[in-house]
Amino acid sequence: MLDWLKNINKEHPEFWKTYISKFEKKPNRFVILSTETSGLNPTKDVILSIGSFAVVNNSVIIGDSFEAVLLQYKFLHDNGLSNEFIVESKMKKLGESEAIQSLIVFIGNAVLVGHHIDFDVEMINAALERLDCGRLKNEALDIDVMYRKLLDINDRQFSLDELCTIFKIPKSDRNSSSEDAYKIALLFLKLKSRLGIK
Amino acid sequence: MNTIAEHIADFLKEYPPFNHLTFQELSEIATNIRVVNLEKHKVLFQINDVLHDSFYVVASGVINLSVIADAEETLLNKCHEGDIFGLRPFFAKNNYMMTAKAREESIIYAIPIATFRPFVANNSEVLNFLLESFATNTRNPKDKENLNGKLISDNVFYSDQQSEMQYFQSLSYNNSPLITTKNAIVQDVAQLMTEALINNIIVCDNTIPIGIVTDTDMRSKIATGRFPITISVDKIMSSPVITVLENVSLAEAQLLMLKHNVTHLCVTQDGTNQSSIKGIISERDLIVAQASNPGVLIKEIKRSQTPKDLKQIRERLSDLIQNSIHKNIPLSHVNNIASEINMAIIKRSVELSILDLGSPPARFAWLSIGSQGRKEQLLLTDQDSILIFEDVTPDKYRDVKDYFLKLGKKTTATLEKVGYELCPNGHMGSNMLWCKSLTDWTKQYNSWMNTPGENSNDLSSIFFDYEIAFGEQRIEEAIGNVIFKNAQNNTLFFDFLGNDALKKNSPLSFFKKFIVEEEGPNKDKFDIKTRALMPLIDAARLFVLNYNLKGINNTYLRFKQLAITDAKNAEIYLNCAEAFLTLSKFRTLEGLKNDNSGQFINLNELSKIDKEKLKNAFAPMKELEELIKSKFQLTQFS
Repeated sequence: MLDWLKNINKEHPEFWKTYISKFEKKPNRFVILSTETSGLNPTKDVILSIGSFAVVNNSVIIGDSFEAVLLQYKFLHDNGLSNEFIVESKMKKLGESEAIQSLIVFIGNAVLVGHHIDFDVEMINAALERLDCGRLKNEALDIDVMYRKLLDINDRQFSLDELCTIFKIPKSDRNSSSEDAYKIALLFLKLKSRLGIK
Repeated sequence: MNTIAEHIADFLKEYPPFNHLTFQELSEIATNIRVVNLEKHKVLFQINDVLHDSFYVVASGVINLSVIADAEETLLNKCHEGDIFGLRPFFAKNNYMMTAKAREESIIYAIPIATFRPFVANNSEVLNFLLESFATNTRNPKDKENLNGKLISDNVFYSDQQSEMQYFQSLSYNNSPLITTKNAIVQDVAQLMTEALINNIIVCDNTIPIGIVTDTDMRSKIATGRFPITISVDKIMSSPVITVLENVSLAEAQLLMLKHNVTHLCVTQDGTNQSSIKGIISERDLIVAQASNPGVLIKEIKRSQTPKDLKQIRERLSDLIQNSIHKNIPLSHVNNIASEINMAIIKRSVELSILDLGSPPARFAWLSIGSQGRKEQLLLTDQDSILIFEDVTPDKYRDVKDYFLKLGKKTTATLEKVGYELCPNGHMGSNMLWCKSLTDWTKQYNSWMNTPGENSNDLSSIFFDYEIAFGEQRIEEAIGNVIFKNAQNNTLFFDFLGNDALKKNSPLSFFKKFIVEEEGPNKDKFDIKTRALMPLIDAARLFVLNYNLKGINNTYLRFKQLAITDAKNAEIYLNCAEAFLTLSKFRTLEGLKNDNSGQFINLNELSKIDKEKLKNAFAPMKELEELIKSKFQLTQFS
């Protein structure tokens, strides 16, 4: 609360100013976002990987994507984990600050879409705070909320797996934030046309 | 590095022409892909749309490619997972020539031509694949055989289609017709026609057709001396010209010619005689187009030498059935044509066996039983048949039976190769039990009909639906006589059949809900064969046997005939006849959709209206049941 007061006299990094300036224009794309985190507490936990795709004109643009494994040295150390398995993966590895910075450049003013996106946004906000930046300004859509709106269901939530089953999206055996982001993207396309969102 | 691009590359490398590319190259292509979701019935592109900058690969779902003739849609091809379509922009510059529409909710990959082009240029195998695809017509089953799964889907050009029924066949016609002006001299015009070897010429005012001169006009107006050869052509031309739109179908063209009593139709820009001329359709074009109709299929069957040939023809029949149903051609009509073609295939299969084994040592008849015997087999179902040979002296019996068993085995094997599965219950002429002499068959039917309860295990009612496929007509008649003689006043037999007919489970629950399968692979699906079609089929058979109506094997026709014979219940029978057609159509559509026998309907995929239609079709069954109960006063086996 009153976050803006904390930041009012701070000098924000350059990339953040560029990001803010992008909001003068209306967004023309959606960005699907999925993060993998160490836990559910935005202040204590950290983001371990990010998967993200752009959706423009009702199609997922495979090339317009961002994915990264975040090397969280402190988290690994505190939990006595080696970062061997991370080193083995072919995914791009970035430190948290670099990763968040690239992500902000990537999403721009796009409308964010995710599954329980509030949490992803909170996690990113926490990371942004560590970089002396403000909070994300993007509008966000939640596919679970979209689905419940479609069927007028108020009393329960749907997991990503459940939604995939309902819309017959094949589950992959591999599990990563990119995989999830891609599945969310397909779900979003399906929900979007059903709800008549432009 | 892009995880999803790699997954897509993984997917693509399974399908041609992508299988000729390295994983590295595919990943690069995949990175540039757009993934599109198409809702059911959503159109991706349609005829005359400007070309997109991408072509498409189906990732999941089904896309229908179709064209429009006579303001109706005709299906050209279904694209399944891995199929490529919309490749036109790669080669042609003109607009799309067909419509691509999602048959069910589908996900497709849009691959930009600009990305793919370098891979084609640098990879001769990919280039060859594309050239070959465009050079060949996939509708030609011979090519299908050679290039199975190796072709892209949209190289189908409508005018080339071989397997259409004439109802919606489109025409190829002369699009550079002879044209003259109204002031031209008849003699010059005649000279022109003679040189071009064409029997007609269109008289135009600018590009608007105002009349036509044909050989007939020359004969009746010039050669008879009514007009001199020096007058202007407008004095003898026939006017106005009958004009049509470009994509007129064969049937429509035929009707127009008959209606206006003309031999030529002029194709114009907008179909009226006020727009410019595009070409001319002559009677001859109609004849040429008719060369590919069911009759031709049957001719080709008669010429086939191997099961493979027959299989290709059977595939064309599937196309024909699918298109006919799509076009709402009456199902009874489609049934007739399909069963004639099926019958011809069976007949040819027996012939091929005889060619192989040498002449049979005795006369015989190969009867189709079950659904083919009733002439209502639209989908590839399993085969049911029996073989009856004439009585021979006891010393020859073994050899003769031996020959016919071999014949049966060969024939059923051939049919299996064509695509008709073997009957799981062994109801086939290759089975010892169902390949025997006329006397043995007579005994068999006598025992079934006179003591139906005792050995009812092997009594299947399909043995009472039979149609000769090959051999001696008289043997079929003899068996028919045995059956109908036994049927007379045979209360026990009708009691048995009647109970058998009523035993089938009802399609709806007490609360008018569909009763669906509770377990097994078809859980939650509706068994339309057992619960809806079989009761009608069984009842129709029961009644024709009872009323001594010989030679009517088709369920639809049986009900129609019963309405005449038993006039006071006519309404019930007629309702049943209609219901049978409706239900068959549901089953056939389901079967075509899933390439199976269509026995189990997925209710979730039906629209509300279709579900109502289906339920309405059950309505006559109740009355029919009452009719059976009251007529046969069922007691013995109840």
